[in-house]
Amino acid sequence: MKPNEFDVIIIGGGITGAGTQRDCAMRGLRTLLIERSDIATGATGRNHGLLHSGARYAVNDAESAEECIRENMILRQIAAHCIDETDGLFITLPEDDLAYQQTFVEACRKAGIGAEIIDPELAKRLEPSVNPDLIGAVRVPDGSVDPFRLCAANMLDAKLHGGQVRLHTEVTGFIREGDTIKGVHTRNRQTGEETDYYATVTVNACGIWGQHIAELAGVKVGMFPAKGALLIFAHRVNNLVINRCRKPSNADILVPGDTVCVIGTTSTRIPFEECDNVAVTPDEVTLLITEGAKLAPSLSQTRILRAYAGVRPLVSADNDPSGRNISRGIVCLDHEERDGLKGFVTITGGKLMTYRLMAEIATDLVCKKLAVEKACTTAQTPLPGSEEKSYEAVAQKVWEAPTTAQKAAASRMGTRASRIRSSNRRDDDLICECEEVSVGEINAAIDRMDVSTLTDLRRRTRVGMGTCQGEFCACRAAGLLVKAHGCVERERKDLADFLQERWKGNFPIGWGDTLREAEYTQWIYKHALGL
Amino acid sequence: MKFDTVIMGGGLAGMVAGIALQQAGKNTAIVSMGQNALHFFSGTFESLQAPSERLAELFSAAGIRVHYRKGVRLMPLGTFKEAALSLDDIDLFPTPKFGRRVLIVNFLGYHDFFSSFLAEGLEKQGMECRIRFLSLPELDNAKAHGEMRSVQIARSMDRIWEKVAQEIRLLLKDEDTVILPQVFGLLDDTVPGRLRQAIPARVVFAGTMPPSVPGVRTQMQLRRRYELLGGTFLMGDQAIRAHEHDGVVHSIATHNLDAHYLEARNFILATGGLYSKGLVSNPFKITEPILDLDIDQPQDRNEWYNPTFAGEQPYMGYGVKTDEQLHAIKDGVAMQNVYAIGSILGNTRPELGSGAGLAINSAFAVVDQILRCTQNDNEEPATPVILSEAKNL
Repeated sequence: MKPNEFDVIIIGGGITGAGTQRDCAMRGLRTLLIERSDIATGATGRNHGLLHSGARYAVNDAESAEECIRENMILRQIAAHCIDETDGLFITLPEDDLAYQQTFVEACRKAGIGAEIIDPELAKRLEPSVNPDLIGAVRVPDGSVDPFRLCAANMLDAKLHGGQVRLHTEVTGFIREGDTIKGVHTRNRQTGEETDYYATVTVNACGIWGQHIAELAGVKVGMFPAKGALLIFAHRVNNLVINRCRKPSNADILVPGDTVCVIGTTSTRIPFEECDNVAVTPDEVTLLITEGAKLAPSLSQTRILRAYAGVRPLVSADNDPSGRNISRGIVCLDHEERDGLKGFVTITGGKLMTYRLMAEIATDLVCKKLAVEKACTTAQTPLPGSEEKSYEAVAQKVWEAPTTAQKAAASRMGTRASRIRSSNRRDDDLICECEEVSVGEINAAIDRMDVSTLTDLRRRTRVGMGTCQGEFCACRAAGLLVKAHGCVERERKDLADFLQERWKGNFPIGWGDTLREAEYTQWIYKHALGL
Repeated sequence: MKFDTVIMGGGLAGMVAGIALQQAGKNTAIVSMGQNALHFFSGTFESLQAPSERLAELFSAAGIRVHYRKGVRLMPLGTFKEAALSLDDIDLFPTPKFGRRVLIVNFLGYHDFFSSFLAEGLEKQGMECRIRFLSLPELDNAKAHGEMRSVQIARSMDRIWEKVAQEIRLLLKDEDTVILPQVFGLLDDTVPGRLRQAIPARVVFAGTMPPSVPGVRTQMQLRRRYELLGGTFLMGDQAIRAHEHDGVVHSIATHNLDAHYLEARNFILATGGLYSKGLVSNPFKITEPILDLDIDQPQDRNEWYNPTFAGEQPYMGYGVKTDEQLHAIKDGVAMQNVYAIGSILGNTRPELGSGAGLAINSAFAVVDQILRCTQNDNEEPATPVILSEAKNL
């Protein structure tokens, strides 16, 4: 095989694409993943980061609920360093119907979800931030998951199994011979370089953008973009996921994650053209704050760090342009069977929670097309970093007497923390003080995880995700990127882009301390540093 | 406690007003939270050209060394900016190409000085650059007490600058210019000058991530001068409310002084903008928290921001409304003994300049106004304040 030839090309660097690449690579296929931006830039990185127990779907969508709980249990085993096993509560407030609790618990049990009704007093002790007016509480095995870490770990494992990854590379067209897709034309968005890649099978794993990729291939996949807006609070107010025990509605899930917590979401149908640039409106912000405070009243006094929105990849289950038949389930389309187009597969729909199952389904189909008979092992094999369950044990092993910053690094990198260079003590210098990210951890990400911009670095290390929103660390990290890439001019622009990207999430909630911080950032970069 | 004038805010505007009033024989107090915009001062007095005689005298008496020349200065990220009146730490060049061969020296493990950006910026101007790192055991000790940041390094540098000069002499080959981080002269302001003399090349200091060492030093110099003149500096305190009657404020309450109100004939509000909490914001409006003064602002919050980070931000221009004499306006009426100066004015007084220039110009304007108004009055004798008592509260 030539260097540009593969068994399978996967388009899309979200969790579905990364998971599919991992599965294919583990089954011995030669894989290439192409992503036009960075990892987890679509719906993967723009949700709650909720490790669903499935309880939310139990009443209305038993199939999704069963999938969720199965995958939930698998992810706890294979993705320990991406997961926080917090548990969750479904609370009933005085304005909710307490009778729903019974329906809910029965549906959960039917789906195999351990749901236990607990005394509201116990709920308050377990989760002191919960609305003290609650009249009912159910405990479920919800948790939180870091989607960036999960996506990066899947991609890393694919690479460890020989896979190749091209980030910031856009598919501009397909190489087609008769009724068969033979490969893709691509263009690197940073260098402008154009390259063709060939493969027997190409997988479209582009989420909502899958509609566009399918069009390029000459087939139709109808997506129905639904925007969801979320807010990140600057503190981890809650330690358990808090949900409302009622029919799923707006802003009724509060998820703790690392140092923050996230409230969401809304659901608004948007035109497909807006998918690339979704904005959070003032009305959505108001709704999220008001509803969020009903779950945990202290949220109304908590500083908000950012507002952001994602687009759910909802898809019409068959070739139904009217959209009457929208499914939230997994959709795997064999375009040979469906449209007579050989060598092309679309995997879409689904959820972050079910990415592994989606990958398995897509890989089964790819293997069938390639006549490869190999069973899926992704459910049994821990991701790189997740070989050890406790990050404290990892930190202990790597550093003997770890500092809090080193423990933080171990919680982010899992067993991969042993790769942090500790050859000299300068590697312990902190670049990001909010999230305690060291020079060593940043260099490890630059070395191994395809980092070309500050925003890429943020997704892999949490640099700039903390309370200062990159005010102090962006410049420091830019210095390290210059050292790695050797191009100051590019880094100058990167720094400006990074600050713009941070501001985009700040101004919709620009008041109080958030606006103070933003004003300070403006002063520093414009007046004091001269960017 | 009774004063002629109580100044809320110990930044550049408040300090200049306090010093000028003390010099004119007034008895004043400054209530200062501690941190202010001087802590990220670039070293250039924005929007000021040549200093007035009055400003030159004030700086000179405070020991603040400034120089003036219309030119450009080097910014920490390797860009150049037009500048005029600046602290002596800042070099002003006629053109951006100020040398031929440049040695950029940083300290190993110091990430707040952007040597590669500087080098690229200078190379663009046709200068040759070489970057070298100094590893000093003294700084490793500093590191043991926390991360290496400007002020921590500057504390050591006051002691070990001679050793640094020696190391640089060893590094120096044929360079005509040496660029160093601006971490010299925190307490001893003679250090930058002595360092310049000890190195056989032109020494240029380039700024670091805040805190700004020259800014912190300037703040300390102003405070020392103010206290020497007999001013009462209430450090770590802040005004929390004003007591007014018929549009006249007679006293203010502060956080630390409890029921011991600060009474005065005049009050100057120099509490700064949003960052300094002179203004505060909530989802619906921007307010002035002590007196609830009038602020021009749009109803719709969406108009506060420019979605482009690098663009002009409308919210940064909002400030308290004042009349021609800078009397603060509340409910449409000018308060006769309350003045607003410095960045709490936002862009409402563009004729007074911006940044440091606005701080100084508005401070002098209000001082003159106060002095004019009280010239012919019989002043009541002021009650002296024992500072130690105030501090213990």
